[in-house]
Amino acid sequence: MKKEQIIWITLSTLALGFMASAAMMVLLSMSAFVSVLLLSVAALMVGANFVVLWRYSTGLRKAARAVAVGSQVKISARYPRGSLLEEIGSALERFVDESQQKVKALQTENGDISLQLQLLQRRKNSVEAILNSIRDAVIVTDDRDRVILANETAEILFGFHFDPASFQPAEDIIANNELVWMISKSRTSKTAHVRHELTFDNDDSPVTYDTVLSAVEDDNATVIQVVTVLHDITREKEISQMKNDFVSHVSHELKTPLASINAYAEMLVDGEAEDEETIQQFCGVIQGQAQRLSRLIEDILNISRIESGLIKVSRQSHSLALVVRDAVEMITSYAQEKNISVQSPTPILYDQVSIDRDMISQVVINLLSNAVKYTPAGGHITVELELNEVEGQVQVSITDTGVGIPAEDVDHVFDKFYRVQANNKYAKGTGLGLNLVKQIVETVHGGSVYVTSTPGQGSTFGFVLPLSKQTMTQTA
Amino acid sequence: MENKKALVVDDEFHIVQVVSIKLRNNGFDVTTAENGKDAYDLACQLLPDIIVTDYQMPVMSGLEMIEKLRQHEPTAHIPVIMLTARGFAIEEDQKQQLRVAACLSKPFSPREVLQTIEDVLNQNAAV
Repeated sequence: MKKEQIIWITLSTLALGFMASAAMMVLLSMSAFVSVLLLSVAALMVGANFVVLWRYSTGLRKAARAVAVGSQVKISARYPRGSLLEEIGSALERFVDESQQKVKALQTENGDISLQLQLLQRRKNSVEAILNSIRDAVIVTDDRDRVILANETAEILFGFHFDPASFQPAEDIIANNELVWMISKSRTSKTAHVRHELTFDNDDSPVTYDTVLSAVEDDNATVIQVVTVLHDITREKEISQMKNDFVSHVSHELKTPLASINAYAEMLVDGEAEDEETIQQFCGVIQGQAQRLSRLIEDILNISRIESGLIKVSRQSHSLALVVRDAVEMITSYAQEKNISVQSPTPILYDQVSIDRDMISQVVINLLSNAVKYTPAGGHITVELELNEVEGQVQVSITDTGVGIPAEDVDHVFDKFYRVQANNKYAKGTGLGLNLVKQIVETVHGGSVYVTSTPGQGSTFGFVLPLSKQTMTQTA
Repeated sequence: MENKKALVVDDEFHIVQVVSIKLRNNGFDVTTAENGKDAYDLACQLLPDIIVTDYQMPVMSGLEMIEKLRQHEPTAHIPVIMLTARGFAIEEDQKQQLRVAACLSKPFSPREVLQTIEDVLNQNAAV
C-alpha cells in the first residue's frame, strides 16, 4: 500500500513541476497576467489531483485496516478507466477478496479447533472425575514403568501425591515389590490382562486386592502403557470366610445330636441295652437329642430369616409384664427341678409395647432358661421390669446367682455360635440362643440387649424395648 | 486274659456313654474324660491300650492332647482313634505326623468304632 501512495505522490509532484516550468516559460515570454492565470490553473490541477489521491488513499487505508482486523471489506472506489490506478486498484481488490476468503477459512478452522479443544478438555475432566470417583486404585505407567496417571484412591493407598509432570518411577511410589514386578512383567511380556490377588499388610490388618494389569499397545504392537487396577476384596473374603465358618459350625452342631441319635439307635438294634431301664435311657437320649436337633434347626432358620428380612413379624400392642409373667410360669418347673427360685417382676404403670408376642416370649424364655442352666442348685433368679418415661422405653432384666462369665467372653456372648468354654461343663448349648435373642430384640424390634457379669457371682441379661406410641401418649 | 484298657474322651456326655457301653459290652475296661487335659493326665496315669477321642473339646482339643502324648515317652506309642464332626479339618500330613491311627466322622456307628479299635490293636500286636 505505501508503495502505491509513493507512486501517486511522485506522479503528482512531477505534474506540478511540469506545470510550474511551463508557467515560468510563459511568464518569461508573455505578460505577467497570463503567467498568473496559468499558475492559478496549475495550482487548481494540483489541488484536484491531491483531492483524488487523498480519497483513493483513504479508501485503501480503510480497506487495509479492515483486512488487518479480519472484517468484511469491499473496495468500491472508481478509478480512472485504463489508468495505473485502476490496475493497482483491481489487483488490490483481488488480493483483498482472496485474503478475506483465506481469513474466513482460517476462522472456520480455528473455530473447529477451539471446539475440539473444549471437547478434549471436557473429556479429560470427565475421565479424571470417573477415575477419582471409583473406589478402585488405578495407576497407569509408561513404557519405562513411570507413573503417568494415578487416581485419588491410588494416592491414598500408596501414600503419594500424583504429579503428572514428575514421571515418578513406579518402584519409588509403590511400596509393594510384587506389584512393581508385576507391572514390569506385564509390560515386557505384553500380556493383555493379568489377574492376581495381592495382600498388603496395612497396620497389622491385611487388605487383599484383586489386581488386574492390562498392557496397552500402539500400532506397532509396542507396549506403551500398563494400566493397573486394584480392587479391595477384603470384605468379600471376610464374608466368604464367615459363610464357610457358618456352614462348618452348623455342620458340627447338627452332627453332634445326630451322632447320638444314630449311635443309640444302633445300640438298641444290636441289643446292647441289657435291661428295660437301659432301653428306656437309650430311648430318652434319642428323644432328647432329636428335640435338640429340632431346636437347633429352628434357631438356625429363624436367625437366617431375620438376617435376610424374610421372617413374618406380627406386631401388636401387648403388656410386656404379661409376656414376661407367662414366660416365668413356663420356666418355673424347670427351675424347681434344680431348686432354683424365680422371682416374678413387679408390675409397672405403663408397659405396652408393640411386639411380636411369640418372638419376645422366646427371648424371655431363652434368657430365663440360660439363667437356670448356669445357676447352681439352690440359686436365685430375679426378673425385673423398669420404665424409663424420659426415653420412652421399658427394660427387662434377668439376674441370676450363677457361675458368671469371664471378662474376656462378656463382649462375645451374643455372637453367633459363641460358647463360653469355661462354662461348657455346666450346660450344653448351640451358641445360637443368645444370638437369636439379639436378632429378635435389635433387628426385629429396634431395641437393644445388654449383659453384665461377675464370675462366681452371677450375671444380668436384659433388653430394652421402645414403648408403643399409645403408651407414649399416655405417659406424656 | 486281661481286658484291654480304653480311654474315651468327649465333651458330649451321650457320646462318651454310648462308646463306653459298646466297649464294656465287648470286654474293655473303659475310663472316660471330658476334655484333652483330663485325658492326658489319665493316659499318663493308666497307660491305656487305646484312646478314642473327640477333636473339638474345651480346655484342650483332641489334637493338642495327641501332641502332648507323643512328646511323653510312656504315652508316645498309644494308638489314638479320633471321632470328629469335621473330618476334613485334619490335614493328612498332620494325621501322619501325630500318628493318628484312624479318623471316624460323626455321626459314627458304635459297631464301626469297635471294629476300628480291634483292627488297630491287631495291627499293633502284629508289629
